[in-house]
Amino acid sequence: MQYTQKVLDHFMHPHNVGKMENPDASATEGSPACGDQVTVYLKVDEKSKKIEDISFLSYGCASNIATASIITDMAKGKSLDEAKAITWRDAMEALDGLPPVKVHCSVLAADTLKSAISNYEIAHGLKEVPNFSKETILEELKKIIYPKVGEDIVSLKMVKYVGFSDGEVLIDMNMPAFDSWRENVAEEIHEHLEKYPEVKNIQINFP
Amino acid sequence: MKKTGIYLDNCVTSPMAEEVLEAMLPYFSERFWFPGSFISTGESTNEALSGFSHTIAAAIGARDDEIHFTSGGTLANNIAIKGLANAAKRGHIICSVVDYPDLLTNAAYLEKQGFEVTYLSADSKARIDLQELKAAIRPDTFLFMTTIANHVVGTIQPLAEIHEILSAADHKIFFHADAGQAFGKMPLKVGDYGIDTMSISAHKIHGPQGIGALYVRKGTSMGQVIHGVRRVDGLQTGGLSIALIAGFAKAVELIFNDLAGSISQLRELSDYLWARLKKKISYIELNGTEGEERAAHNINVSIDYIEGEAITMMLDMKGITVATGSACASQGLKPNYVLMAIGKNHVQSHGSIKFTVNRYITKEDIDYTVDCLAEITEELRQRSPLYNAMKNQEK
Repeated sequence: MQYTQKVLDHFMHPHNVGKMENPDASATEGSPACGDQVTVYLKVDEKSKKIEDISFLSYGCASNIATASIITDMAKGKSLDEAKAITWRDAMEALDGLPPVKVHCSVLAADTLKSAISNYEIAHGLKEVPNFSKETILEELKKIIYPKVGEDIVSLKMVKYVGFSDGEVLIDMNMPAFDSWRENVAEEIHEHLEKYPEVKNIQINFP
Repeated sequence: MKKTGIYLDNCVTSPMAEEVLEAMLPYFSERFWFPGSFISTGESTNEALSGFSHTIAAAIGARDDEIHFTSGGTLANNIAIKGLANAAKRGHIICSVVDYPDLLTNAAYLEKQGFEVTYLSADSKARIDLQELKAAIRPDTFLFMTTIANHVVGTIQPLAEIHEILSAADHKIFFHADAGQAFGKMPLKVGDYGIDTMSISAHKIHGPQGIGALYVRKGTSMGQVIHGVRRVDGLQTGGLSIALIAGFAKAVELIFNDLAGSISQLRELSDYLWARLKKKISYIELNGTEGEERAAHNINVSIDYIEGEAITMMLDMKGITVATGSACASQGLKPNYVLMAIGKNHVQSHGSIKFTVNRYITKEDIDYTVDCLAEITEELRQRSPLYNAMKNQEK
């Protein structure tokens, strides 16, 4: 398992790193308990809705720092809509790839960028606070990477069923008993969903 | 020996001493024979092997015929644990949550085979709970096993107290010890602690990779684990390299000619390292215990607000090799189980760095390492949201 030269360059000499004074919006995702946390700060031109300046802080490993560096490069100067469209796949490609077990780090950086933009849009009346629904759960599951192959669990068809009612989340998974990543994936699902106050209980069923 | 970088991960493996290489060379070429009877080639190897066994046996206070060569510490652990379990057929085993993976994976395997296992908990310094040990002993307990010096934080288990508890039981409980991190790093005579079986390994003490030994107290009945033709040893059957055994014996000789001196050299380096770290880096703490209860070569610290994989990679670029307990650096994306079991939190485990010194490390190497680490810590903290948040709160 090796990092590409691009990952190493961005890790050793990250772009746009540092705390921003008086940002127009910011967001923090991840948690120290999960081993990584990213904060993204934005300055947005009110008229053009373009990202004038962007910076980040990262508590995490090399791939975490490198993806935050490249994704902030990619977002700089873009309109909010363009920046929103940047995915973890784009960031990963720009880094010439990541080891499968490290792909989840790129998701966190992309996710934090999206959250910062969303916070800006909500604060400026550009959008409503979204309602929590089954769609929200699905969106969150798409951010969970199966570390063995470096793809998300929804694309890999590992999620068989998602249900949500009265705060109860029910997820049926398609992972065999011998899969050593079951526990890891279950933990990730909890971490991604428990941050929503609407979620009272999560039940994950494995075959 | 030509030094390539500063290698501070000697608990995993260590550079081979030049004297060891020299001692091995004849056995690769002109003296390559396996042991045998009545013919000069085989007899000369018998003689050489007796000498090697004697050197190693003397180092741990064993009889020569109690030393069995294996292809490493893990093989030795497997042969002992499975061998004792095979002989017992069923029953109860005691080990602890902070044991070396060799012991834990064998315990898990035996559980599946119908044995019962009690995993003792450990205190904040990784010492096993002796009260729990006393309470765990059952009439069918046939095996207690422990990792003498912990492979993560270096804590040496209270062997005398363990011995006392095991001997007070009203039936025989075998005592298996993994001495992978303890051998050559502390005075250790098997007879002092009633140890029945003990694994040791050559490459952790500047010997060659691929050879170890299992001490089996005379009279211990063990089931056969490895079946096959007997070449060098009756427990690990099949061929074993005589050259590697020669190297192993030489490595042992180099350390045990002056064990006290070897230990104090390692301890001086470790103490110096910890003193420098404390002085140069803020928000740092030692994991495990201080002083004589710690293996002489191990310093394990947690550096707050930053993550270990990033630290180890930046040190690597400076030519320094260390290890971390960070989940990000592990294949299973899990924080280190020993650190978690002794009550450290995720951040302390993610920010943990393990240094293990060897006899070729100098104080200048340590100065350079600590200077680099101080710089790296500062750099990563500037990037860290946790550090920035803490600094904001301080304001």
